Amino acid sequence: MTAQRHLQHTLLILLCIILSAIILTPFLMMLVNSFKDVRESALFKLSPPSNPTLENYITVLSKPYFWRGLRNSLIITTFATVFVNLFASMSAFIIQRKEGKLGKILYFALFAGIIVPISIIPTIQLMMQTKIHNTYIGIILFYVAINLPFSVFLLAGFMKTVPREIDEAAVIEGCSYPRLFMLLIIPLLRTPIVTSTIVTVTAIWNDFTAPFYLISDSKKWPIVISVYNFVSQYYTNWGTVFAFMMMVILPVLVVYALLQKHIIASLTTGAVKG
Amino acid sequence: MTISSQRSRYPNWFLLPTILVFGFLFVIPTLTSFYYSLTDWNINRRVITFIGFDNFIELFSDIKFRATLSNTLTYAFSVTFTRNFLGLFLAILLNIATLRGKNLFRTIIFLPYVIAPVVIGYLFTAIYNPSQGILNQGLRTIGLGFLAKDWLNDPNIALFSTIMTDVWRTTGFSMVIYLAGLQAIPQELYESAAIDGANGMRRLAHITLPLLAPSITINVVLALIGTMKVFVMILVLTNGGPGYATEVMNTYIMSTFSLGLYGSGTAANIILSLLIITIGLPVLLLLRRREVEL
Repeated sequence: MTAQRHLQHTLLILLCIILSAIILTPFLMMLVNSFKDVRESALFKLSPPSNPTLENYITVLSKPYFWRGLRNSLIITTFATVFVNLFASMSAFIIQRKEGKLGKILYFALFAGIIVPISIIPTIQLMMQTKIHNTYIGIILFYVAINLPFSVFLLAGFMKTVPREIDEAAVIEGCSYPRLFMLLIIPLLRTPIVTSTIVTVTAIWNDFTAPFYLISDSKKWPIVISVYNFVSQYYTNWGTVFAFMMMVILPVLVVYALLQKHIIASLTTGAVKG
Repeated sequence: MTISSQRSRYPNWFLLPTILVFGFLFVIPTLTSFYYSLTDWNINRRVITFIGFDNFIELFSDIKFRATLSNTLTYAFSVTFTRNFLGLFLAILLNIATLRGKNLFRTIIFLPYVIAPVVIGYLFTAIYNPSQGILNQGLRTIGLGFLAKDWLNDPNIALFSTIMTDVWRTTGFSMVIYLAGLQAIPQELYESAAIDGANGMRRLAHITLPLLAPSITINVVLALIGTMKVFVMILVLTNGGPGYATEVMNTYIMSTFSLGLYGSGTAANIILSLLIITIGLPVLLLLRRREVEL
């Protein structure tokens, strides 16, 4: 019986290793080939480079648009995430506490926003008319708009667990609502705000569609669009393409390795809570 | 002080930032899209005129658009089914208490979900390369060379190749939702079932699957909504080709946009919204009804 158990366990581990290999092999191919020259990298072999070279990485790191892309992604993601969290907490606080008509209508509209896809052409038109097309402020506001629904649901759900007595006590003490919100509610919402931050950052950092349509000035492109343009330029040199993509996913890999438990939990919380 | 009067004191202006931003960049474009879809708005026109349902009639009589609709549905249902089937299997596998290294395996299988889809798309154009890609190389090495294909340029299998890429990318996400669902099932249920002599298959059919119904609902609905909106993965892998073998709604909308056919593109966008609502909502309601309360 124990021998059979042991065999069974070994087979399951083997299965897990094969499945992990299916996930990791493409990344391994990208890694080893990023250290190969033009001819060798075009063969896409998984073998280690015969003449390891850093040439590809030097090419990538010497491109100003690589650094610019990184900086733009950082600016856009940071501002959009801060505003999403701030606006969503304010709304969740009022929607859950006040239970007023306006809050209910807003809640329903936000629910529609999770299901209905954006209408991209009218959005471009509207942003051009208001002169925010092709600007940082425009794309940041757009990201705030499309990421608010999820965060409001998440935070409103959590607000229910924050006892009303806290508000009552504070108000009786003469505390104003903005002060109550900043000093008591925000600190209590810390946990779902971390979740909302991880979800929003991942969504914006990896997003392609919005900058593809909303930013035409190459100086304002985030890194994801830089990859797209870089590949169309260097399509014949896979070694350099792989090096560029390695540099793009490196920050994500580092953060994922450090915070994987948090990240997995966050990205699936909304779904599990339903 | 009564409860209702106290509630009414909460200031509504706290809702203002959300109303302004969401209203401005989501609600207004969505509402105006209904109007634009009924006009002949295009890049050459200064004055746009109302043309009724002409855009919709034209779209449905276009053989390319009909192929696009069918591709989008094939893509959405195939990815949804496959990733849920595999995700559930993986969740059950990686929920075995005695399995060593299960946390590491979970982390690895979830990994592609945090990587930008544009990067994954390019990675797979290399993998699917007909002469040198590791997929065909691997098949030849293990003696299955007859299965080697021109994965992205053969119109009969290009859509299948894009589907498998998305399955590879998102199965880990479905798995993690199922894992959370599995962990919420009380252990005593399995213990008493074991005492009653229920075997593994019966426990799966009578305990695990019924109690996992909420996770199945959310997984299927999220997958359907997400895959019908697919864009960058197709753009990078095939750009809708060869011909229009892999054209999906969002690549179709992009091509009408770049041709300057704004009214027609907006009409296509409305059809996509209706498609998502008419498929997403009934599936949600149907699956909800079958859920078991814990």
